[in-house]
Amino acid sequence: MLSYQFDWSIITSGKYHDWLVAGLKTTLQLSAISIVLSFLLGLLIAVMRMGHNRPARWFAHAYLEFFRNTPLLVQLFFWYFGSYKILPTAVNDWLNSVGFEFGAAVIALTIYTSAFIAEDIRSGVLSIPREQMEAARSAGFSYLRSMQYIILPQAVRITVPPLVNQFLNLAKNSSLAMTIGVMELTYQARQVESYTFKGFEAFTAATVVYVLLSLLITFLVNVYNEKVLNIHKGA
Amino acid sequence: MIKKLVTLFMLTALAAVSAKAVLAADTLVEVKKKGVLVAGVKDSLPPFGYIDEKSRQIVGYDIDFINAIAKKLGVKVELKPVTSASRMPQLQEGHIDIIAATMTKNPERTKVIDFSHTYFFTGQKFITKKGAVKSLKDLEGKRIGTAKGSTSEQNVKKAIPSATVLSFDDYPQALLALQQGKVAAVTTDEAILAGILAKAPNKAQFEIPSVQISEEPYGLGMRKGDKNFVDFVNKTILEMEKSGEAARIFSKWFGPTTQFHLNRSFKITADK
Repeated sequence: MLSYQFDWSIITSGKYHDWLVAGLKTTLQLSAISIVLSFLLGLLIAVMRMGHNRPARWFAHAYLEFFRNTPLLVQLFFWYFGSYKILPTAVNDWLNSVGFEFGAAVIALTIYTSAFIAEDIRSGVLSIPREQMEAARSAGFSYLRSMQYIILPQAVRITVPPLVNQFLNLAKNSSLAMTIGVMELTYQARQVESYTFKGFEAFTAATVVYVLLSLLITFLVNVYNEKVLNIHKGA
Repeated sequence: MIKKLVTLFMLTALAAVSAKAVLAADTLVEVKKKGVLVAGVKDSLPPFGYIDEKSRQIVGYDIDFINAIAKKLGVKVELKPVTSASRMPQLQEGHIDIIAATMTKNPERTKVIDFSHTYFFTGQKFITKKGAVKSLKDLEGKRIGTAKGSTSEQNVKKAIPSATVLSFDDYPQALLALQQGKVAAVTTDEAILAGILAKAPNKAQFEIPSVQISEEPYGLGMRKGDKNFVDFVNKTILEMEKSGEAARIFSKWFGPTTQFHLNRSFKITADK
């Protein structure tokens, strides 16, 4: 018979606790950096996608379809292993000397998520009546300035709920980075399991942390809505 | 909202735990009853377990041992690919009956599962660029690649504390990282390294220096306390040693007709 003895002490103190905390720190850094970058990149792609510059529009369209329709895991391997073939030797040597795992994970998560964010922002912009753009243009604003001052501030507000979804996905997707050796939370939980065979404890701790992290992101965005954008719940 | 979430989470966890507790006590009886022995094996690790290019079947040293045990039992064989990290949970959860996946016997693992007598013996070494490594000193402070959940990872951390150990999902990725210069060495048991190197596209640039950091006895893994089954497996592999079948299997996969040219420096004997 299998009898599993729970031993929670391994995750509350000692070496394995330190591993999990180090993993959490990496997950937080990876998620935070990628969230900021993917939002900015997503905004840029959305503007290009809706603009009047034909090459930019085509580029944005291709970018969206390509990165939305390939698995994130494949993209991770592409940036980590595949980039080696394209980059010059000097760049590869430098990347290898400093360690490219974290960087490759940031690039993959950012680009993958930005494609979804761009589409969310675009749908937000499309929901703004087109008269607003016409009014802005006739008032002498350029296309980009109309976007910047009139359309995007409104569109981003409408887009906040789907954006939160993308951020939550990103935070959880960051666990895939362990496949290229980034020592984030899931990686460390697996390490603890393979050293102690206490997988239940380690993964329960990791699960609780992911839930808390997701709740924290939701909370922060809500606070931002209320304090900065003055949007109140139910409004 | 949060209260609901917590309740939901705890219910899920409870369901997972109670599902795990339902397991057969005697695998020997169970296997005979269902007429098939389910074995967890490697499927990308020549010559222990890998997919044969012609037959598209998993073959190898580990698989030949499983086949012999199943033949003795009079049952069929079902092979399930496992990774170093997944094999022990798979066994404990009852998805497989036995592990034959290049698994090193060590005290920590023996606390959780039971091992057969040693059916293969090797030592942990490195693959590096030719001439780059003469002694362990040459690897200090370097980045070293291996596979997750393996003993290799723990040994190398002990042997070279200043090195950064990067764990990949499996050995082919670790080798790719070595070829791209992302790590200075790939480490695991010599017999596995020889298999990886033999398949590498630009193998002339690499070598296995004679630096060894541990001894690795492999055992077949079975559920803890499954005494009848463990005894049966031990009896079978001791008989294989006596009849010369074990030595034949070794020379089939590692002997002079293969690319490995390893000498059989061990015999299967009863553990003390």
